[in-house]
Amino acid sequence: MNYHKYSSKSGFSFSYVMLALVIVFLFIPLFVVVFFSFNSARGMQWDHASLIWYKRLIFESPSLWSAFRNSLIIALTSSVTATVLGSLAAIGIKWYRFHGRSYITTVSYLPMVLPEVIIGISMLIFFSAVKVRLGMFTIFAAHTTFNLPFVFMMVSARLDEFDYSTVEAARDLGANERQTLTKVIIPTIIPAVLSGFLMCITMSLEDFVITFFVSGPGSGTLPLYVYSMIRYGVSPVINALSFVMILGTMVIAFIFRKFLKTVAASS
Amino acid sequence: MKGVEVNVQRVSRSYGDFKALDDVSVTIKKGEFFSLLGPSGCGKTTLLRIIAGFDFPDSGSVEFDSKNILPLPPDKRQSNTVFQTYALFPHLTVYENIAFPLRLRHVDKETIDKKVLEYVRLVQLEDHIYKKPSMLSGGQKQRVAIARALINEPSVLLLDEPLSALDAKLRQNLLIELDQIHDKVGITFIYVTHDQSEALSVSDRIAVMNKGKVLQIGTPYEIYEAPSTRFVAQFIGETNSFPCTILSCEPYEEEYLMRVQVPALNGEVSVTDYKAQPVGTQMDFTVRPEKVRISSNPPRSTVKELNTFKGIVEEPVYSGFQSKFYVKLDNESSTLVKVFKQHTAFLEDGPDIEWKDTVYVSWTASDGYLVKDTAR
Amino acid sequence: MKKTLKPREREQLLGTMYGGPMGLWFTLFFTVPLGIIILYSFMKRGLYGGVEWEFTLDAYRQMFNPSFAMVVVRTLWISVLSTFLCILIAIPCGYAMAKSKHQTFLLFLIIIPFWTNSLIRIYAWISILSTEGFINSLLMRIGLIDSGLKLIYNNGAVVLVLIYMYLPFAILPLFTTIDKFDFSLLDAARDLGATKLGAIVKVMFPNIRSGLSTAFIFTFIPIFGAYTVPLLVGGKDSTMIGNIIVDQVSKTRNWPLASAFSMILTLISLVGVFWMLYNGKREQMQKGSKKTTQQALEHNIKAHHSLRGTK
Repeated sequence: MNYHKYSSKSGFSFSYVMLALVIVFLFIPLFVVVFFSFNSARGMQWDHASLIWYKRLIFESPSLWSAFRNSLIIALTSSVTATVLGSLAAIGIKWYRFHGRSYITTVSYLPMVLPEVIIGISMLIFFSAVKVRLGMFTIFAAHTTFNLPFVFMMVSARLDEFDYSTVEAARDLGANERQTLTKVIIPTIIPAVLSGFLMCITMSLEDFVITFFVSGPGSGTLPLYVYSMIRYGVSPVINALSFVMILGTMVIAFIFRKFLKTVAASS
Repeated sequence: MKGVEVNVQRVSRSYGDFKALDDVSVTIKKGEFFSLLGPSGCGKTTLLRIIAGFDFPDSGSVEFDSKNILPLPPDKRQSNTVFQTYALFPHLTVYENIAFPLRLRHVDKETIDKKVLEYVRLVQLEDHIYKKPSMLSGGQKQRVAIARALINEPSVLLLDEPLSALDAKLRQNLLIELDQIHDKVGITFIYVTHDQSEALSVSDRIAVMNKGKVLQIGTPYEIYEAPSTRFVAQFIGETNSFPCTILSCEPYEEEYLMRVQVPALNGEVSVTDYKAQPVGTQMDFTVRPEKVRISSNPPRSTVKELNTFKGIVEEPVYSGFQSKFYVKLDNESSTLVKVFKQHTAFLEDGPDIEWKDTVYVSWTASDGYLVKDTAR
Repeated sequence: MKKTLKPREREQLLGTMYGGPMGLWFTLFFTVPLGIIILYSFMKRGLYGGVEWEFTLDAYRQMFNPSFAMVVVRTLWISVLSTFLCILIAIPCGYAMAKSKHQTFLLFLIIIPFWTNSLIRIYAWISILSTEGFINSLLMRIGLIDSGLKLIYNNGAVVLVLIYMYLPFAILPLFTTIDKFDFSLLDAARDLGATKLGAIVKVMFPNIRSGLSTAFIFTFIPIFGAYTVPLLVGGKDSTMIGNIIVDQVSKTRNWPLASAFSMILTLISLVGVFWMLYNGKREQMQKGSKKTTQQALEHNIKAHHSLRGTK
């Protein structure tokens, strides 16, 4: 089965060189930022090593931390909501035929396909049309909307591998609907549900474009804060912040390492 | 006798334009090993799922011992199912899978232990009870599924092609075991399969289905020796089957002897049947390959009940205990006739028949039979 | 007393119970907002944002204004160019990854920059390309140049950063498809006399068509709707449709025009998605298994998003 992986070991072929170059290309900007986060001077001229920007980041950036707190609140609430609604819907869509089934499936994929600007703008216009004040709630609603498809998709992928006969077997052996859910379905899909949840947290913490449209005064999230730092006065604190965020990404990617391959194989 | 009588009356089920079941009626006796046999898409699985409660008929009734069970959900029916894909719970061990139904009913721990052990013994899995399903072989998985389905002591066990995912040798062994389990527990078994040899070897009775209809219900012997339609004749075992027209019909001992015109054989054939057919009726003439004799010399008897044709061996196929010959008739029809010859005793089968040999194929009138030509 | 329901009624009830909440959520926060956009694009603009309830095609007429038309044309060429470069680079990468014995590690390497906050990545490029940036400082220190080169705030920088941002979107689906490709077919082609490149082009490409179209669409659509990259690394002449939409909403307050441009983005995205589905379906038919459009959509999106962490 893995025959091809050993079939040709032709050392440095064109494709390997290309891949190596691409990886270097992808990492250079990150290294530059991380490198200069340890620079004592402001610009891109190296002075001497210093942790001053980390000190500023941790002790002298209260508005950054309040933005981070907002981000966390939004990430947690929207991810929990999306995980619950998305997982339940995945179960329902997979196993039951009902009115509105194909509508729900189609509409659940579209937010992933359309450009983010569209999602952001349509929500902004919608909220102002129904006169909802922009703020934490609108960000929560927007994040739940773009998180939902991912949970739905990941849980559906798990359910696709799952033999529906096991549900029928549970019913056949005397389990009622609730027992089937708690004793058979949930234990089987829980890894996908948790991964979906983690994915939501990541995406929610990361999102800028959609949040940009639906945030109001006082509800700025971390990416919005980063944006204002880039636009209106760059301070090397952002370099220090970048390193922290890159480290965070690496941790998350590491947690996902097994899951990546599994889902890749199942799709 | 344990088990219940399962009475299916006039059940129909359509999916859109597709008629999965078309006015199906079957009565399965208490404690019987009953098979639903047919090609894929014939409706056998749909019928099983309706009995189990996973599907619902558009019309008709299903009764267990004269009690209507259609309003009951699967968990309230006295039937349990062994699934084609085993349907073991992947997060539970063998023990926990088998104990699952008992735990749902909050049976006390001691009883569970005792019963699980009893059923684990029944399916010979004592050494594997703490394994997860992913660590078991196909055969072992299916045994777990059987034990799990039986532990609730159902009145009917429904088996949905339980052996189809296993290899041939294992299939034989498990089939014999299944038969023994049936003898032990004594409940009604309803066995769905597309494999005629499985159905013939273990069933008390068989229902042959095609295109949503039951074509014939009978014992394996009846189904094989006296198929009622061309489809049954061709689906069960191998056969030579040709359209024919009745030329004459006269009483013959306790049956009727008929002369029929068979265009494919370019000649007339004698055949007996217990039922008289009016002259001119269009039917199918059928003779099983193992009933046809093959010889290098013309058969000595020339009674009119013996049908003999001359031909050339087009294709001899040696397959161990028997040989198959495809004989091309020596007339304008050029029809191929299938002949099976058993190798019963070493070197006593007469001289070897080889490719391109001229041979005679013959069978007596009582070895052939007439079936309704449903295709016409 | 619980009423016993027929199985099909039960199914309807349970399906609605499980799927209903998400359906309602999407209706409220996706379908209705999108509907409002469609509606607004046919309305007269309000004086201070919003719309007046009067049917008009003004918004669509305004789009033919030369300055807007320019932006549409620019958006198109920037997107097409960046997407093609992405795919061109991604094909050998996906191939090398699929053939590698260290797939997980390579995926890890591709995914770390990919999952890093997009603004941070754009910022990194700003600090590399800007007049006092990394490259200019470096070149000046070595003495190659006296004053900073103008590397940023032009269309070249936009294309470069777009490729950087969206390259993984092309690599990952191509990797997934090539990984499933039966490499013994290449050996068979070589055996029958094809060159190595010939075998890849004539045997592998036709068999990974669905991966190619998925990579194309999922790179093209976000680039086509890009907003932050042209805003932060582009110059005066780098405005793309995404920027117009935002400007029309937040500055000019011409909501109908913003809606009309959104409609264009949506329609082009949908056309792309359907083209991708058509390709996926054709490939499925070649392999002999029939799929409904729905399944094909799910398949393609999964193939893409299975490895995607960020929007």
